[in-house]
Amino acid sequence: MTTPSFITAQAAELRSVFDKARALPFTLSREEQAESLLAIRVSQDAYAVRVNEISGLVTDRKIVPFPSPIPELLGVAGIRGALVPVYSLAALLGYGAEAGQVRWLALCGTEEPLALAFGGFEGYTQIPLGQLYSAGQKDVSRMYVTHVAQVTNSVRAVVSIPLIRKAIQEHCRSGRVHKER
Amino acid sequence: MWTFGRKIAAGFTLAFLLLLAIGAVAYRSISLLTSTSKLVTHTHQVLEHIAEVLSLLKDAETGQRGYVITGDEAFLEPYQTGTTDIHSVVKELRELTADNPNQQKRIDQLEPLIAAKLDELKLTIDIRRKGNVDEVTKIVRGGEGKRTMDSIRVVLGQMDHEERDLLKQRADEVESAASGAKSTIIYGTMLCLLFVMVTGFLITRSLSGQIGAAVRHVQSSSAELQSAANQQASGAKESSTAMTEITTTISELLATSRQIAESAQRVAHVAEETSAAARVGDTTVQKSHDSVNGIKRQVDLIVTHMLDLGKKSQQIGGILEIINELAEQTNILAINATIEASGAGDAGKRFAVVADEIRKLADRVGGSTKEIRTLIEEIRAAVNTTVMATEGGSKAVDLGARQFAEVTAALKQITELLGTTTAAAREIELSTKQQSTAVEQVNIAVSNVAKAAKETEVSSGQTLQTAGQLAGLSRELIRLIQATANA
Repeated sequence: MTTPSFITAQAAELRSVFDKARALPFTLSREEQAESLLAIRVSQDAYAVRVNEISGLVTDRKIVPFPSPIPELLGVAGIRGALVPVYSLAALLGYGAEAGQVRWLALCGTEEPLALAFGGFEGYTQIPLGQLYSAGQKDVSRMYVTHVAQVTNSVRAVVSIPLIRKAIQEHCRSGRVHKER
Repeated sequence: MWTFGRKIAAGFTLAFLLLLAIGAVAYRSISLLTSTSKLVTHTHQVLEHIAEVLSLLKDAETGQRGYVITGDEAFLEPYQTGTTDIHSVVKELRELTADNPNQQKRIDQLEPLIAAKLDELKLTIDIRRKGNVDEVTKIVRGGEGKRTMDSIRVVLGQMDHEERDLLKQRADEVESAASGAKSTIIYGTMLCLLFVMVTGFLITRSLSGQIGAAVRHVQSSSAELQSAANQQASGAKESSTAMTEITTTISELLATSRQIAESAQRVAHVAEETSAAARVGDTTVQKSHDSVNGIKRQVDLIVTHMLDLGKKSQQIGGILEIINELAEQTNILAINATIEASGAGDAGKRFAVVADEIRKLADRVGGSTKEIRTLIEEIRAAVNTTVMATEGGSKAVDLGARQFAEVTAALKQITELLGTTTAAAREIELSTKQQSTAVEQVNIAVSNVAKAAKETEVSSGQTLQTAGQLAGLSRELIRLIQATANA
């Protein structure tokens, strides 16, 4: 069992690390050679999302259902003062409706923002670029997956947000064409 | 039907009556003969006295004559004797013939004649003594004396004749009485013999039949008695054996009873000690009950404190949730800051570093929060476990308290029951002692019965022997009766 003295020591360590980080001189070399990823879980499968492909991460927002011919559209939610359409990442990846509450939303884009909802967020991670492989190299053929990242001991499919945005936009356009006809 | 005794008594009674009759008749005949003989003797005495009177008178006359003739006094001796004795003889004659009036009359006639004769004799003797022979001769020649003497002879002859007639008559009577007695004795004896023979024959025949039947019955009965005696002997032997076994069993029972009495005494002693121990245990249990109640109060207090601790843990958990949420939100903010910083170009890179540090810190805080949550969960689980254990302990203490109450009640009941047990054990001890005494008495009685059974066995043997002897006697009797009947 963890003792209170250990917790006190851990708090002191955290304080020390934070202060040390603030005290160290700033360098960019490390960040330029690494890829920042968000480790997520979609229908119990491990995925990753590039941090630079999203514009924000929010949680626990009320999703108001919105009638739409696009089945992946869960509804709309108010994020940062704007109504943003929320799509199910699981549905987009072909899993169907995800079981349980979908509380994580990845905000994509700033001009026409949309949000991708997923069930689990496992954390922020940075991996060297050498641990990022193209899907062809790892013989992975999944929709919207262009790369595969090796994070610690596991392998995660890196979902391409631009491909998903493009696909959604195409869905929206085709839906609009159907509606105009 | 007449009994043997009655028949024999009747036969002997008839024979006795016959003998009595014969005896009475014979006695009567003999009495008659005796009296008649006495009368004959009496008559002979009377005759002798008559002859003596005449003889005395003759002697007196003879003396008178001799003296008168000779004058010699010596010739007067017969005279003196005759004159002296004749009166007494006449007197005796009167007495002997007192029952005969005729003879009394003749004696009345005789006495003056005798007196006259004696006077005449005395006169002549006196005259002769004076020497006057002539006058004496003259008086004798006068013949007075001879006439007197003749008259006396006549009277005495009459008396003698009558007495001889009586003698003849009495002799005839004697002969007749003797003949009657003889006939009575002979014929009566013959009759009695005949009657006795007939009666004896009849009684013998009757008794032979009845006794034979009875003896045969006795023989069969003795055979049955022998068989029964055999059975009785074997039964008595079995009884004796059984009584010996019973005696042994009762002796064992007596020993067992004594052991039970000793055991009951020990039980009573142990029960008393147990009762004392139960009372001590009751006090101890009461103290333990008080202690358990104190433990219960302490446990309730512990439960309350633990529940408070659980609540506090929950509150800590709530705070931790807030911290976790804050860490998560911080993490999200840091990520968003990183995203914003990456979108801000080089100017945002320093901010991105800070955001990354903040994110790391948030991650560490989140990890620490998870650890703390784990700790809190462990604490809560421990608290819950402790609460549950304490509640279980409280329930166990409640149960223990109830059980202690039950144990106290049970101990009280045990104490009461031990009192009852002690009393019962004492009663058992007393009863068993009484039982032992009774069993001893029974043992003595059974020993006596066994002794009696052995004596019965011996008696049965004797009965068997007696039955055998009785059967032998019955056969002997039958043989005798049949031999008598055949004879």
